[in-house]
Amino acid sequence: MSEYVLELKGITKIFPGVKALNNVQFQLKPGEVHALMGENGAGKSTFIKVITGVHKAEEGEMFLNGQKVDFKGPRDAQAAGIAAVYQHPTSYPDLTVAENIFMGHEIIRHGMIQWKTMNKEANALLANLNADFDATAEMGTLSVAQQQMVEIAKALSTNAKIIILDEPTAALTKRESEELYRIVDKLREDGVSVIFISHRFEDMYRLASRVTVFRDSQYIGTYDVDGITNADLIKAMVGREISDLFPKPEVKLGKEMLRVENLSRVGYFKNVSFNVHAGEIVGLTGLVGAGRTEVVESICGITNLDEGKVYLEGQEVKIKQPSDAMEKGIILLPEDRQKAGLIMSWGLGRNVTLPTISKYAKHGFNDNKKERELSKQLLEEVDTKAVDIFQPASSLSGGNQQKVVVAKALSQEMKVVIMDEPTKGVDVGAKAEIYAIMGELAQKGYAIVLISSEMPEILGMSDRVIIMCNGRKTGELGRQEATQERILEFAMEKGHSGKEADR
Amino acid sequence: MAGKSGRSINNVPESPMKQILFSWEGILVIVLVLVNVFCVWFSEYYNTFNLLRQMPVYLAEVFLMLPMAFILVLGEIDISVGSIVCLSATAACIVCNTGAPFVAVILAAIAVGTVCGAVNGCILTRFPELPPMIVTLATQIIFRGIAEIVLGSGGSISANNTDGFRAISGKVGSVPYILFLVLILAVIAAVILGKSTFGRRVYAIGTNRLTAYYSGIHVQKIRFIIYTVMGSISGLCALFLVASSYGANTTTGNGFEMDAIAMAVFGGISSTGGKGNIAGGLISAFIIVCLRVGLGQRNVHAQVILLIVGLLLIGAVALPNIVGQIQRAVKMKK
Amino acid sequence: MQKKSLIKKITGSREALLAIILIILFALITAVSPSFLTPKSLMDMLKNNAVTLVMALGMLCVMLVGGIDISIMSTLALSGMSIGMLLKYGVISGTVTAFLIAMIIGLVCGALVGLVISRANVPPIIATMGFMYVFRAMGYLVSNGGEWASAAALGSFKNFATSKLLGLNCVIWVIIACYVIFFFFMKWTRTGRKIYAVGSNSNAAEVSGINVKNIKLMVYMIMGFLAGLGGALQVSIYASAMPDMQQGGEMDVIAACVIGGVSMSGGRGSVIGALLGALVLATIAKALPLIPFFDQLWLNTIKGVIILVVVVVNVILQRVTDKNTLKGREM
Repeated sequence: MSEYVLELKGITKIFPGVKALNNVQFQLKPGEVHALMGENGAGKSTFIKVITGVHKAEEGEMFLNGQKVDFKGPRDAQAAGIAAVYQHPTSYPDLTVAENIFMGHEIIRHGMIQWKTMNKEANALLANLNADFDATAEMGTLSVAQQQMVEIAKALSTNAKIIILDEPTAALTKRESEELYRIVDKLREDGVSVIFISHRFEDMYRLASRVTVFRDSQYIGTYDVDGITNADLIKAMVGREISDLFPKPEVKLGKEMLRVENLSRVGYFKNVSFNVHAGEIVGLTGLVGAGRTEVVESICGITNLDEGKVYLEGQEVKIKQPSDAMEKGIILLPEDRQKAGLIMSWGLGRNVTLPTISKYAKHGFNDNKKERELSKQLLEEVDTKAVDIFQPASSLSGGNQQKVVVAKALSQEMKVVIMDEPTKGVDVGAKAEIYAIMGELAQKGYAIVLISSEMPEILGMSDRVIIMCNGRKTGELGRQEATQERILEFAMEKGHSGKEADR
Repeated sequence: MAGKSGRSINNVPESPMKQILFSWEGILVIVLVLVNVFCVWFSEYYNTFNLLRQMPVYLAEVFLMLPMAFILVLGEIDISVGSIVCLSATAACIVCNTGAPFVAVILAAIAVGTVCGAVNGCILTRFPELPPMIVTLATQIIFRGIAEIVLGSGGSISANNTDGFRAISGKVGSVPYILFLVLILAVIAAVILGKSTFGRRVYAIGTNRLTAYYSGIHVQKIRFIIYTVMGSISGLCALFLVASSYGANTTTGNGFEMDAIAMAVFGGISSTGGKGNIAGGLISAFIIVCLRVGLGQRNVHAQVILLIVGLLLIGAVALPNIVGQIQRAVKMKK
Repeated sequence: MQKKSLIKKITGSREALLAIILIILFALITAVSPSFLTPKSLMDMLKNNAVTLVMALGMLCVMLVGGIDISIMSTLALSGMSIGMLLKYGVISGTVTAFLIAMIIGLVCGALVGLVISRANVPPIIATMGFMYVFRAMGYLVSNGGEWASAAALGSFKNFATSKLLGLNCVIWVIIACYVIFFFFMKWTRTGRKIYAVGSNSNAAEVSGINVKNIKLMVYMIMGFLAGLGGALQVSIYASAMPDMQQGGEMDVIAACVIGGVSMSGGRGSVIGALLGALVLATIAKALPLIPFFDQLWLNTIKGVIILVVVVVNVILQRVTDKNTLKGREM
């Protein structure tokens, strides 16, 4: 019997144009909770998919209880007792909880599904996890936390010995997180090994005994949780002193450009107010699900506000749809570049000119020559690594795609640029370039709102940090006073203070 | 900007010749020639004179292909157009029989069509969650149903004063007016879809609706306009249909939506949105029209022609997909 | 808590709502015309709508995986016409043989449609639109260019629709058998649940090892098979076969499913729902002549309006539910 239940050696996974994993290793002891940490794009998710057989690694070996295994697909991994619970539950919303749990291994007698037995067993599994819902409930009606519980129950129903939790607390409230900690503790007592991916140090300290860090697709190291300090861990994850990465220029702040007052949207956020000055970068942070994206989407007219006022240069503006926002000079660079930022199959040039196409047009007809000139100029301005303006956006790397999105914003006279997770899925080199562009925009007098979950980015780039939690603004810190700990404090201020203040 | 590598990005397009030669439109032109060669061989009556003489009946449907191309590029579908044609034709006949001037007849047909199209557009833009297929399926039943109610138990109406209809089915030399009109409208449609900002936005919506919306494009407004114009053009189609039969009945325009979609899809306009152009649709429309005339001359039954159109429709979508799958499979093996 | 959810279940479920509507309709019609609620009248109604009732089951499966099939009435015509001609020219004479042949033809048609959709990735609406032409034209070719197979030519086959078994018409037995089989199939077999899984989340289905392509192929084969059965029923009930039978009838089948709560985007819908949807539609058709001012001519318009109202109300209800969920979210 090997010392490890699961061991991976020299795993390399290549996607077209990118090495997503470069010679990484990993060991999991029986009955341990092992945290896997790293920045976005460090390769954690790809690594998980290699373990669960969704991706096949180009190189490397995998051992299960000392035996070499070679998974052809997710079914093999399932059969071997490995189950993954993803951040966004991959469930069947129209089916019942029991069916979701037993999908693929239904209890069958005489060719007929035994609903009663299945419901009973599902309820037993759920009771074990202290769930407060019934197995006959419809999956789609449950909260994210409850759906995650179902996914865990599903993993348990297959007698999984290794359970992988991919950012399980990201969308949970404080109380729900506590519940999850308890479940993980219980799993460990039952002898299940758990791999735990999280951005939150709190999760790691509370649960894990060891932590493995990935950075830029590479294995950095494995540490005992008790023996490592916060600072060391951050350094391991980021790999450099923060100041090197963030060339934040000193900009003298101009007049107030954007001010929002008491923005509310039922179910998403409430009473959010802040302002941004010309030349200022305001970081908007908080945990996933805190309502950051929803706030800026409402400002830009993607969705509509229920209450609140938006002022631009002191004038109140009414924004009903994205085109209104752009006319006034506010643009949102959305988080999901591929779905909302770019048309992936189109050439770069056309992508850049999409929002402003009518400005290049003569009497409603496209002026192709002018369009080509302008898009070339803008793409060069943000230094896109591209051969020509006709190559499809899908041929670029994440970082360069982001630059094209920025070029889109530059194609028109803008005053406020809102960037939602601009460096998500971007490799470190390109990140620095995007930060440089951001700095230059600030110098040119743009007012910038930067939404990010990455603490170093927020700390490194922002003049001011606004922290949201559970749909409310919980804190605002100046550049000097902002530290990781203080930000986390505000970001974790879940349920309690917000709720009590309400009463 | 600082930190700039000074990299230069090419912005000179390739020569257009190469693009034209290796395109689907290029293939379609060859098919069109082959179909004409076949028709000449198949029917001794197949010549330019007879083609121009017999064409108008089939050309009315080509009108429908033009706005349908826009709807398909949007990634949507409208299967109510046949019924709109029926209702517009009925309206045209009724107005004609009141003794109103022919201008009023034209206006009535187009107005009824426009209203029907606007109804579709209105429902679809008010409730963007609804799939266009189910909405236009319902309005298809409703529009034809209204025509059924209006036409009463007889189920048909004939136009008493045919002068106006005779006039619009006239000719310049041997070329019918309708051919000119089809070509003019096709050029207009091609320019709007291919060269205008409106067309660019339609492609953007059809390729990635979310990005289009985030980029400030009025997605719902554009959808509404296109569905409404689809209705107006259906009214125009109805007018020429009445001009060839001097009447309307409850089956007028039956299956026209299928023909229009088949022409567009066979012409390389993807039914999933974002791809294709009017030129392809127009060439494929003429392929189908020529085939119909040629086969019709030897009394090949309409059903056989429909069979061919059906196979063209399926084949035009299925073949590229299958070829693509095989190519990928071969690549994977390498 | 359990009891409360039971009440909520009944008031909140589409099936219960439809059942209530159906009962109200029945009551209203009986008040106007007492002869409606007699066994004979009801049996006639079922018999006349047998084709829609049976094929709604197939459409349920197709729509559950997010597809649509508008070629079904062409398949019906092809299979019905084929057995009509075989009977007419004395090639076959047995009722069972005729039914089998019709169903096999339907199955083959369905397999063709399913292959084109699942393997060549042709969007269902385009593929079935094409096959609608193709099968209809083939039915026409089979009929020797428009011949009918009239009652006299069908021999004993037409007696199937008039004969009775245990006091019930054979056609009604076929409907009952289909519904019982499907009720079990959709609820109690693994394959039935796979159809729901694919429609509810095809990516998740793929990950949990379900062959999505085969499930899609299968639903179109089921649809084709039932269309073949429908063809045989149609010929038997109306004692004639002609190439243009049931043209446009696919709308009734789709309407039945939509009214019965089957979602257009897949994953939602039940056998009971499809049954009730078809019955509501049939009852309205039957009731229309009884109401002054409205007559048979209004039937299609009313059907269309019902479909439209149902889908729009669904969207509005969904919006309201979403809004309420959001209001309940703790902040």
